[in-house]
Amino acid sequence: MAIRLQRLPSASPAVALAARAIAILLALVTAGLLLAASGAQPLKLAQQVLKSTFGSGFGLEDVGLLVTPLILTGLSVAVALRIGAWNIGAEGQFYAGAFAATGVALFIPGPSIVMLPLMFIAGALGGLIWILVPTLARAYADVSELITTLLLNFVATLLVYYVATGPWLDPGGHALATTARLKHDMPEFIGIVHWGFPMAILLAVITAATFSFTRWGYEVRIAGSNPQAAKYAGMPFRRHLIVVMLLSGAIAGIAGMLEVAGTVHRLQGGISNNFGYLGIMVAVLARGSCIGVIAGAALMAVILNSGIILQTQGVNTSTVLAITGLILFFTAVGDELAHFRIVSSKPAEA
Amino acid sequence: MSDLRHLSRRRLLNLGAAAGSSLLLPPGLIRSAHAAAPLPAVAEKDALIAFGHTGPVTDEGWTWSHDQGMKAVKAAFPQVKTVFVESIPYSADATRTYRQFVSENACMVFATSNYGDFLYDVAKRSPKVAFYECDGRNPLDNLSTYYVAHWYPTYVTGVAAGLMSKSGKLGYVASFPVPSVFSGTNAFLMGARSVNPNATMQVITINSWFDPQAATQAGTALLDNGCDLLFGIMDEAGYLQVAEKRGAKAVMWNTDIRRYGPKAYISSIVIDFKQYYVGEVKKRLEGTWTPSSTILPMGAGVDRDAWGESVPEDVRKQADAVREKILGGWSPFVGEIKDAKGNVKLASGKRMSEAELYNWDWPIAGISGL
Repeated sequence: MAIRLQRLPSASPAVALAARAIAILLALVTAGLLLAASGAQPLKLAQQVLKSTFGSGFGLEDVGLLVTPLILTGLSVAVALRIGAWNIGAEGQFYAGAFAATGVALFIPGPSIVMLPLMFIAGALGGLIWILVPTLARAYADVSELITTLLLNFVATLLVYYVATGPWLDPGGHALATTARLKHDMPEFIGIVHWGFPMAILLAVITAATFSFTRWGYEVRIAGSNPQAAKYAGMPFRRHLIVVMLLSGAIAGIAGMLEVAGTVHRLQGGISNNFGYLGIMVAVLARGSCIGVIAGAALMAVILNSGIILQTQGVNTSTVLAITGLILFFTAVGDELAHFRIVSSKPAEA
Repeated sequence: MSDLRHLSRRRLLNLGAAAGSSLLLPPGLIRSAHAAAPLPAVAEKDALIAFGHTGPVTDEGWTWSHDQGMKAVKAAFPQVKTVFVESIPYSADATRTYRQFVSENACMVFATSNYGDFLYDVAKRSPKVAFYECDGRNPLDNLSTYYVAHWYPTYVTGVAAGLMSKSGKLGYVASFPVPSVFSGTNAFLMGARSVNPNATMQVITINSWFDPQAATQAGTALLDNGCDLLFGIMDEAGYLQVAEKRGAKAVMWNTDIRRYGPKAYISSIVIDFKQYYVGEVKKRLEGTWTPSSTILPMGAGVDRDAWGESVPEDVRKQADAVREKILGGWSPFVGEIKDAKGNVKLASGKRMSEAELYNWDWPIAGISGL
């Protein structure tokens, strides 16, 4: 009888969850040892992080505010993954959505009750338009969306810098180059957390339900896991690809709109906070599951918020980044290991 | 070299002591008397003072200088606890960081760059905490603003630049089109034009205060375009190294960083917030803190650095004569001044107020790229 490792096509949920928990624990222990080696007191720091994050409304509100864009950018990436497309451009679509929503808010007069839905639509359209060319290029010319969506991020970032420091610059003589403060604020939901938070969760739930319970969702999932089989079965692969990718862009655009209308209230360079790129991590943490994105985003938000708390405790930025990286690295390894099981096989069956 | 440096530092401090009350703004800029009572006193051992920086404290420039200020506070009040966070982005992360300072019971929060609404959102919800915004323009009941009158030493170095540039084409590596950049480009070119009326300036903005790679690229592009002397408002030494490599000259900001380009180095707009920070913390601890708007004048918070080795004696003399004149009360910022489009923005004979210099938001004639 020999003992060997066997890789399973999919890990059982219980094993996956355990692997994830162990991975995070190991990452934290490793980070703690490193911090201790550099003279800090990891237990005291951990206590402070827990107290600041979960022990006060302050901390929970901060996490709630952070999690909103992360759910949406994560969802954006996860949606595209459903049909096998990698949307690396959520960052750019986020900016395009923020840009479009700001444009509507600055140049169309109206009461907030009308303007906020208009900004929402504009944000979604902005993100959609930003992914339009990569989508068509992928659908009709088989150009890798990985490259095209990524490159358009830089274009969107510079576009926002251009309008915020040029034509849309707030004439108020602010020292920070930014547009005027928008007149329409997303109403607050709990504390400083705006209504974008429940909207993001709702959007994730609706999307997940659509993929799980509709014929369209079924076809997309089939098309994503095996395009050849989908085509053979007569499913319109190209049409599904186009719709899903455009939806992915629109969701990232909504994230940008909510960040502008709910949190920052002005358009300026740098507001994305890398949410677009972090969305890729969130989607990976969620293993591409639309509902899992909520948990992935929550984990990411807690990690990012802990990073800020650690910095105010005198841990420097690079160390915080390294700890974040460690957690994600261990999680990825844990996820992979969860696919294996130890089997003792009889040679005859081998 | 280090002797010269100490000399200039000591001189700076002496001048500061002599200037004394001139640490305050000229009458025009002092905000109207504050109605509310001062914030209550804080025992030294209970005081937590927080600093939020835009760059790393190791930048040898802007953030390093503010960190020196924090260390001076620590030296003056040994029981005070201090904390800083570096490289805070201009995003909602800034709000989170400043909120965290407050939730840890900081009694003073210094933002050493303009975080605007990201800071005001926190300040408005924390009325018992004294906030500061460097280069800010929007004082609140619990938020003071402070900055340096860098346009004067910039004009002085501009005179030296005008004398030393062969082509008369000056380059400027800018962060954003904001007032501190406009007053920098304008004062520098006005100084240069006072000795070379044909001098012009080309500006490249890189959307960051600390991005050595982008600053290096911008510096290279400006030299490729025919500029032979670089100025800018970067927190680090990137474009000085470009100038050194290409045989051009450079004027820098924040600190003495001549070792990155000893031949190229003309001077630097050196800053010193130590005295200011110690004074403000003292007020807070004593219970006399009220919000204020302060611009540290030349000689007491900002000055030119000791001249670089390649600056000829006659250039030093000529530029320093201008410096003495300014210290004596003369202002170079007198009309007629035209903007880059040729419109007369300041009538002949009219003198710009400190507030106008602080809020300068248009480029003068001869500047392109802003």
